[in-house]
Amino acid sequence: MPEMNEVPEKPPAPESEDVRVGVYTCYCGGNISHVVQCERVAKTLSKIENVVVSRTDLSFCSNAGQAIIEQDIRELGINRVVIGACAPSLHEQTFRGAVTRAGLNPYLYYHVGIREQDSWVHSNNHEGATEKAVRLMAAGVAKARLLTPLDPIRLGAERHALVIGGGVAGLRAALDIARQGIRVTLLEKSPFLGGRMAQLETVFPTGEAARSLLHGLIQQVVAHPNITIFTQAMLTGVAGYVGNYEIQVHQDGRGISDDKAEALMAACTQELPDDFNYGLTKHKIIYRAYPGCYPSTPAVDWEHYNGEPIPVNGKSVILKNEAKSFTLNVGAIVIATGFDPYQPRQGEYGYGELPEVVTLPQLIRSLAYVEDGKPLVWNGRPVRDVAFIHCVGSREIEGVDEPHEDGQVNNYCSRVCCTATLHMMDELRQRFPDLNIYDLHEDIRTYGRGHEDYYLRTLEGGARFVRFNGTDRPTVVAAPPGDTHPVLVQVNDTFTYGEQVEIAVDLVVLAVGMTPRLVDDLVQMLKVSRGNDRFLLEVHPKLRPVETAVNGVVLAGSAQGPMNIQESLAAASAAAAKVATLLGQGKVELPPFVARVDAEKCNGNGACVQACVYEGAIALVTISENGNEVRRAVVTPANCTGCGACVGVCPNGAIDVQAWTLAQYEAMVDAIAMDYDLVEVAT
Amino acid sequence: MENLHVDALVVGGGIAGMQAALDIADQGFQVVLVEREPSIGGKMITLSKVFPTLDCCSCITTPKMSSVAHHPNIQLLTYCELQSVQEAADGFRISVVQKPRYVDASKCTGCRKCEYECPITIPSPFDRGLGAYRAIRVPFSTAVPQVAVLDIENCILCGKCEKICAVSAVDFTQQPETFEIQAKAVVMATGFDLTPLGAKKEYGGGDLRNVIDPLMMERFLAPTGPYGRVLRPGDGKEPSSIAYVQCAGSRDKTLGVEYCSRVCCMYAIKQAMLLSGALPMAEITIYYMDIRTFGKGYEQFYQNAQAMGVEFIHGKVASIREDGEHNPIVKVELTEEGRIVERTHDLVVLSLGMLPVFKSNGVLHLPLGSDGFIDTPAPNANPCATARPGIFVTGTAMGPMDIVDAIITASAAAATASAYIREHNNGHGETTPQEQQKEAAYA
Amino acid sequence: MPSNLQAKQPKILILATLAGGYAGADSTGQVHADYPANTYVLPVMCPCMFPPEFFVRAFERGIDGIIIMYSGTDSPYKVEADGTADLVNRTYALMKTRRIDIRRLRLTAICTVCVKPYLKEINQMSELLKGIGLVKDEIAAPVAA
Repeated sequence: MPEMNEVPEKPPAPESEDVRVGVYTCYCGGNISHVVQCERVAKTLSKIENVVVSRTDLSFCSNAGQAIIEQDIRELGINRVVIGACAPSLHEQTFRGAVTRAGLNPYLYYHVGIREQDSWVHSNNHEGATEKAVRLMAAGVAKARLLTPLDPIRLGAERHALVIGGGVAGLRAALDIARQGIRVTLLEKSPFLGGRMAQLETVFPTGEAARSLLHGLIQQVVAHPNITIFTQAMLTGVAGYVGNYEIQVHQDGRGISDDKAEALMAACTQELPDDFNYGLTKHKIIYRAYPGCYPSTPAVDWEHYNGEPIPVNGKSVILKNEAKSFTLNVGAIVIATGFDPYQPRQGEYGYGELPEVVTLPQLIRSLAYVEDGKPLVWNGRPVRDVAFIHCVGSREIEGVDEPHEDGQVNNYCSRVCCTATLHMMDELRQRFPDLNIYDLHEDIRTYGRGHEDYYLRTLEGGARFVRFNGTDRPTVVAAPPGDTHPVLVQVNDTFTYGEQVEIAVDLVVLAVGMTPRLVDDLVQMLKVSRGNDRFLLEVHPKLRPVETAVNGVVLAGSAQGPMNIQESLAAASAAAAKVATLLGQGKVELPPFVARVDAEKCNGNGACVQACVYEGAIALVTISENGNEVRRAVVTPANCTGCGACVGVCPNGAIDVQAWTLAQYEAMVDAIAMDYDLVEVAT
Repeated sequence: MENLHVDALVVGGGIAGMQAALDIADQGFQVVLVEREPSIGGKMITLSKVFPTLDCCSCITTPKMSSVAHHPNIQLLTYCELQSVQEAADGFRISVVQKPRYVDASKCTGCRKCEYECPITIPSPFDRGLGAYRAIRVPFSTAVPQVAVLDIENCILCGKCEKICAVSAVDFTQQPETFEIQAKAVVMATGFDLTPLGAKKEYGGGDLRNVIDPLMMERFLAPTGPYGRVLRPGDGKEPSSIAYVQCAGSRDKTLGVEYCSRVCCMYAIKQAMLLSGALPMAEITIYYMDIRTFGKGYEQFYQNAQAMGVEFIHGKVASIREDGEHNPIVKVELTEEGRIVERTHDLVVLSLGMLPVFKSNGVLHLPLGSDGFIDTPAPNANPCATARPGIFVTGTAMGPMDIVDAIITASAAAATASAYIREHNNGHGETTPQEQQKEAAYA
Repeated sequence: MPSNLQAKQPKILILATLAGGYAGADSTGQVHADYPANTYVLPVMCPCMFPPEFFVRAFERGIDGIIIMYSGTDSPYKVEADGTADLVNRTYALMKTRRIDIRRLRLTAICTVCVKPYLKEINQMSELLKGIGLVKDEIAAPVAA
C-alpha cells in the first residue's frame, strides 16, 4: 500500500534560481556524427540563453563520458542537463544515475533522441538532420529551463510474483523466484503441468528422457513452500502497477475426486481427439494427459463434455464444473505462455491431403507408441524410405511465400527444428537400421553445444542430404497408382547444381517451426507488445532482454521467440533474477510523473475530478485558507497514472503532470518554431 | 590489500561476467569481480556495432562497465589472476594475485600525461596489432578503471612518466601482491579466444598479408579504430572486393574443432552490411556451407543483407594463396554450379571461431566437455551449473554463443548462484521471519 | 559564415505517446527508414493533457502541421482513446474559428512497431503541406468575402 500519498511540496519556482544548462551532443560512436554535424550542433546550442557549456563526445554513456557530465555539474555548477543521444528508452536511466552521483536531482535532466529519430532516418540529408538536431536540442533546453527537482514515488511492493504458464519455462521461473524467498503463484491454463516438454520423449543433446527431467523440476516446484499452483486457471483481469498488481483469476473445477476417479474414467464413453498426441489418438472426456502427469487427479474436458450422466456403481453421475474466481495481489508478472508448433496449411507439402505427410511433433508422439523391435508402419504400410523437409513455416520470404491469415510471413528461423530433426533421424537410424532417410534443407543449423554431433552422425549413418533454395521449395505429390511408394517428393538439389530430383518415400515429415501462442487477451490486459514476428517483445535484446516495456512484467521462454529447452530454462532463470531484484526489497520506486495541483491557482471547481477515471487519484478536500474554508483538488500520487486528463480541463491552468507540464511543451514548441543561426565549424 | 569475505566471486569482466555480477549484486549480495586485464569490457568492448540492431557496441558495453564500477555491492579487481581455489567449510577460499601496474591506482587520475610523454611505442593488442600504444597508457579510451598501466617488459626505465605525473602515481617498485577472497559461490565467465589466424595451413597459415581475422575488421569498422576507415593491412589500399570465408575455424575436423561457433555467420553478415556503408562501391562475397542466422531477428537481417547486394556463395573454400600484388586468391568449389574456380579479392576475412580459454589446472579443477569448454552436466535441467556444486558458468566459457545469449546465461547464472547462496545462508530459501515482518508491515 | 536556418520548409510537429508513436518512431529509426527531416517528435504520456488552445497556439507560432500519434485502444491510459478523439474534435472547432485549415491537425494510432504507418502519416502530411503551404501565410491571408 502507498507509503506516500500527501500532496507533494511545491517545487521552487525555476525563475528564482540561476539556470545553468549543460548541453551534451553524443557522437554515439559515429552513429550520430556520421550524419549530424555534432560540432555545429554543439556550437549553435552554446549560444542559447542559459547554456553554460555545450560539449560533444564519442560516447557520453561510457564511464569517461559520464564523468565529463558529472565534472561539469560539480565544477561549473551545471544544474540542468540536456543530452542528445540514442533513444531515451536505452540510456535515460544511465544518465539519471550519472546526474544523481554528481549531486543533482535526477529529474533536472532531459534526454533528446537524435539517433533513432534523426541520424538513422535522414542519412541522405546531413544538413537537414543537423538543423533538426539543433531544433530538437534547443527544445530540450527550453524544457530543461522549466524542470524542477522531483522525488520518485516510493511504494511498498508485494513480495509475491505471478507466473503465467506451467511449462518448463514457467516452472523454472517459479522455482528460481521462490528460492529467493519470494512467494509465487503459478497459473496453468490446462489441467496438467509440463507444457510442450511433456510431449517429447528424449531431449538433445543428452538423450535424457524428457518427462523424467520435467518431473524432477515439477517435484521441486510442488515441494517448495513458497509456491502455490493453480491448474485450469486463467487470468481474467489486471489492475494496478509494478509492485501492486491486482489479478483476477478464473479457475475451472476439477469435477472429480481421487477416490472416484478411476471408476469414472472407466465408465465414461465420450471420446475426443487427444491434443497431447496432436489428434493422432483419442482420449476420454475424463482424462490424464499422460501417465505420471501432475496433478495425478484426472480432469474433465469441460469445453467438450456433453453433460450426459455417467453410470458408476449403479448410480448416474453428472459432472459439474464448480468454477471459482478469486483475486491475487502480486508485485510482478512473468509471462511464460510458450509456443505452438506451426500448423501447416491444408495442402502445404500435401499436409492434410496425403495421409503419409505428418509433422515432426506428430511423429514424435506416434513413435512413442511403437514398441522396440517392431517395424515402423505408416498408414498400414511398412516404412522403407522417409523424407524430412526443414523450415516448414519458418524462414519464409515476403513476396515469395504466401502470407498467413494475419497477412504476415514467418520470416524467422525457429532455431530448434534442425537439431530436433537430426535428433529424430538419429533415433530412427538406431531403431530401424534399414530405413533410408532423406533430409531436405536450406541450411543445417545445428548451432548448439553438442548439436553438430547429430549432424555428423546422421551424415556418417548414410542419410542423404538434399539442399534446396528458399525461393524454390520442394513439392510433395501423391505417387501414381501402382507406384512402389505412395508419395513423391520433388526438389531441385543445389548440392548437385540444381539437378531435379524425385524421391519416392513412404513417409514425409515436416520439420515445423514455432509460432507464438496466441494469448491476445493476455497481451491486451497486460499492455505488452508483440514484435514483427508476433512473439512478445523485450525492451532491448542486450540491455533489457527479458523485460517488457511494462514495468514489472517480464518474459520467460518461448513466448518471446523460438528457444530450445536449455535456452528456455536460461531465459526463465534470467526472468527470475529480474523479479527477485524488483521485489526483493519489498518496495518499488515509481517515476514521479503524476498530476500536481497548484493550490494557489485552484478554485475548487472540480472539473479535474470529473475528468479523472482512476479511483482515488484526485479529490476535492476542504482546507482552511486565511481562516476561510475552501475546496481544493488534491492528488494521491500512488493512484495517479499521469494521463493528464485533469490538466486539459482545468480552466485555471492549476494542474500539471510533473516533468511534463503544459508550459514546458509550449516552450518546446516555440524552440522548434524559432530560427537559429547555425554556426559553421572548420572541419 | 585486505582479505575479502563476500557472497560471490565472478571470474572475468567481459559482458557475461559484468552482467552476472550486476544481477547478483542487484539482489543484495556482495560480489567481487576479478579481471586479469587492466580494464573490464572483454572482447565486446573492441567491437564496432552489434547485430541485429546495429547499435554502437560501446553504447551497450560502456554503461554496463560504468554500472559495475559504481555498484555499491560490487568490488572490482582488475589486473588480477587467480592463484588457487580451495573448498572451505563456508564455500571457497580463493587466493588472488594483484599484478603490478607500476602505477598507484589510488592516485592515478587517468589524465594520460604519462602516455603522451612515453617514448616507447608497441603494437596494441586492443587494436589487434593494427594500431600502437605506449609502454605506459590507459588501456583504451573507455577503459574502466581509468588508471594507467605500465608494460615493464617494454619499458626502458627512462623515468619520463614518473617526472610528468602530477600526483606521483608512477611507482617502479611495485610488487605482485597476494590476498585472499572467501566466497560462497563462484561464477566462471572466462570467455573465449579467437581461433588463431594461422591455424589452417590451407588458408595461408597466417602468412598472407591481406587475409585478416574478424576482430581486425571490427577495429577497422569501429569509430575508435586505429585508422578510422577500412584498408588493406598489406599496403594501405582501400579494398574494392572483400570476401568472407565461413567456418574458417569451426566445423573442421582437421583443426580438432567439430562444433559450430554460432556467431560467425552473423558477424560476417553484419560486417558485410557495415562495409557496404563504409565502402559503397566494394563488392562483398560470403563463401559458406550453411548460413546459421537462428536468433531473434537474425533471419531478417540475413534477408536484408541479400537485398543490399551482399553476394552469398554456397561452397567450401579449399585454399587461399596470393598473387604478386599480395591479392588473396580463393579456391572454391561452387556447389550450385558444380565447378571449382579461383577468385581474386583485395581482402579476405577468415570467419574464425571460438576456442576455450579456461584450462582445468592446479588453480581450479573443473571438468571440461569434449569441446574443451567448461562442462555443464545438466544442460536441460540446470544449464549454468558445472560439475562442482557452488561453481556456475556463463557466457562463452560454457561454449560459443553470441552477446544476447551470453547476457541471458549471465542473468541465469546469477539467479542460480544467488539462490544457492541464499539456501547456503538460510536453509531452503523460505521466506525469512524478517521478510514476513516486512510483508506484514506493508499489508 | 554562419548560415541562417530559415523556415523555408514547413515544420511538422509530432506529439507521440511514449507507449505508441514515440516507440514507433524509434522502431522506424532502428530499420533506418528514410523520411523528411522537417519532422519534430515530442514525447507525451497521453495527449489528453493538452487543451485545444495549445494546438492553435502552436500553429500561430509557425508549426505548419501537427500529427498526434497516440496509442488508441492499446493505451495504458483508460481515457486516451476516447479522450483524445474528443480533444481533436474540440480543437477542429476552435481551428475553424481561427480560420486554420483543419487538415493541419491529424490524429492517428501508431503502435510500437508501426514503421509503415508511421512513414505513411509523415509522407501524407508532407504532401498536404506542399499543397496548402505555410501556416503563417494562411493565418495572414485576408478573409475571403
